[in-house]
Amino acid sequence: MIKPVLECIGVAAGYVKGLNILNGVDLVLNSGEVVSIIGPNGAGKSTLLKAIAGIIKINAGRFYLNGLDKTNTPTYKIIHEGLGYVPQVNNIFPSLSLEENLEMGNQKNTNENFSDVYNLFPLLKERSKEKAGNLSGGQRQMLALGRALISKPDILLLDEPSAGLSPNAVDEVFKSIVEINKTGVSILIVEQNARRSLEISNRGYVLDQGRNAYSGLGKDILNDEKIVELYLGKM
Amino acid sequence: MLDQLGNGLLLGIIISVASVALSLLYGVTRIVNFAHGEIIALGAIMASFFSNLPTSRYIFLENTSPLGLSFEISLFLSILICGLFGAVLELFVFRPLRRNEFGNIAVLVITIGISIFLRHLYLIFASSKPQNYPLDLQRREQYFIFDLTPRNAKIIVYGILIMVLFGLFISLTKIGKQMRAVRDSTELANISGINSDRIILYTWILSSMLAGTAGIFQGMINDVRWNMGFLILLLVFAGTVLGGIGTSFGAMIGGFVIGIVVQVSVALPFMEGHTEAKNAIALAIMILILLVRPQGIFGKKERIS
Repeated sequence: MIKPVLECIGVAAGYVKGLNILNGVDLVLNSGEVVSIIGPNGAGKSTLLKAIAGIIKINAGRFYLNGLDKTNTPTYKIIHEGLGYVPQVNNIFPSLSLEENLEMGNQKNTNENFSDVYNLFPLLKERSKEKAGNLSGGQRQMLALGRALISKPDILLLDEPSAGLSPNAVDEVFKSIVEINKTGVSILIVEQNARRSLEISNRGYVLDQGRNAYSGLGKDILNDEKIVELYLGKM
Repeated sequence: MLDQLGNGLLLGIIISVASVALSLLYGVTRIVNFAHGEIIALGAIMASFFSNLPTSRYIFLENTSPLGLSFEISLFLSILICGLFGAVLELFVFRPLRRNEFGNIAVLVITIGISIFLRHLYLIFASSKPQNYPLDLQRREQYFIFDLTPRNAKIIVYGILIMVLFGLFISLTKIGKQMRAVRDSTELANISGINSDRIILYTWILSSMLAGTAGIFQGMINDVRWNMGFLILLLVFAGTVLGGIGTSFGAMIGGFVIGIVVQVSVALPFMEGHTEAKNAIALAIMILILLVRPQGIFGKKERIS
């Protein structure tokens, strides 16, 4: 039976009081799914992830995690309840070593979690004593993913994981996302590289001006001429 | 010159401890705390209140006698009170300001207000008369090349020990690492599951305890005055900025350099008869270094994203 692990109902949120970026967004992420959120710049995609993670306040609507109302739960608490979040920028601690970065995310304090992350990203083990601030863009993204994964989340929110990366690094990141999903983690991705993201997604949502514009299966969105023309651009 | 080097070492240790505290607080909270000097003074004044004998010539609040506790217990209680005071400042002033997203300038002005308020509260509580701790007079002795009293030599050893322990705490313990994580990014720390409010509270407590300790050291080598924190604050800022604001190790070294330069400059030939201007030399050196290295000696320019 399909079980929603994350659900947003009529979520309205924004950065400034009285000025919502999201205006009643509905979204469901089922157990084991990869779901993409796509849309033009300023549609509110990243804002939605921040509202879910408790970084900005939800002004209206509700957000449920595993069926429980978690609207406006403080960020650090929601992370302890099985949510992992990788922001687009500022997603590593530059003055800490790679190992310490992972340690910061390892709230359960188990060594086993380290070995799982090191198996997925061997580079993090090789350079574990180095300062994270010295890493390249792709390596930072791996570290950020590792930091989020080390707490063994059930749900992972990824904000533009391929932004600013070289083509090779983008391949690596998407490969990692598929691998992570295979371990049973449900994933919600916001991505400018919409085609690439939809290719690995079960379903997708199109947001426009803070509202749901369309939702459907990933492959259906990719094959919908109107959506392709409006939001993805002709190949 | 060697006499002054010993005194410089002593002042350097005091400024170093106070600078580390200021730098830690700034690094984690981004607050430029002008009330830091008053927390330094709080440690010194409370130690005087606890340790001086009830029969001494010092009177607090015009009719209250000091408590006459042992000096060791007085130190412990004073440092504890400084920590509690830091917690009160965070819980009742700075956390509400943070929740209401007050700007940095507004917060800075508030710290200046707290500084002025506290300083005058100390004037009422401790009077304007300089006070001394009930410690015996000691003769200077030779320690390597330094000419110091045994007590002052102990202050140097304890100061170095405190900074070594602080360095180990910040590098190796879970809370220390979390403080460094919050210093890098409060938002990312929260996203990692760290309760950044709790870490900021611990930072206020630790920073205030270190500041209070520096105040007690200052009281032990000179005297205790209501405005002693304000008088040393500029040098503490200089040490912090010189080492690289936000870096604890930099603040340690910066504070040390400033202290030594201030004292040694007294022995310079052109300073004869102008010892009151000794701070000017240290501040001029700070400006020169910052012109060449704006991030301070140990400050780093790092990629943020």
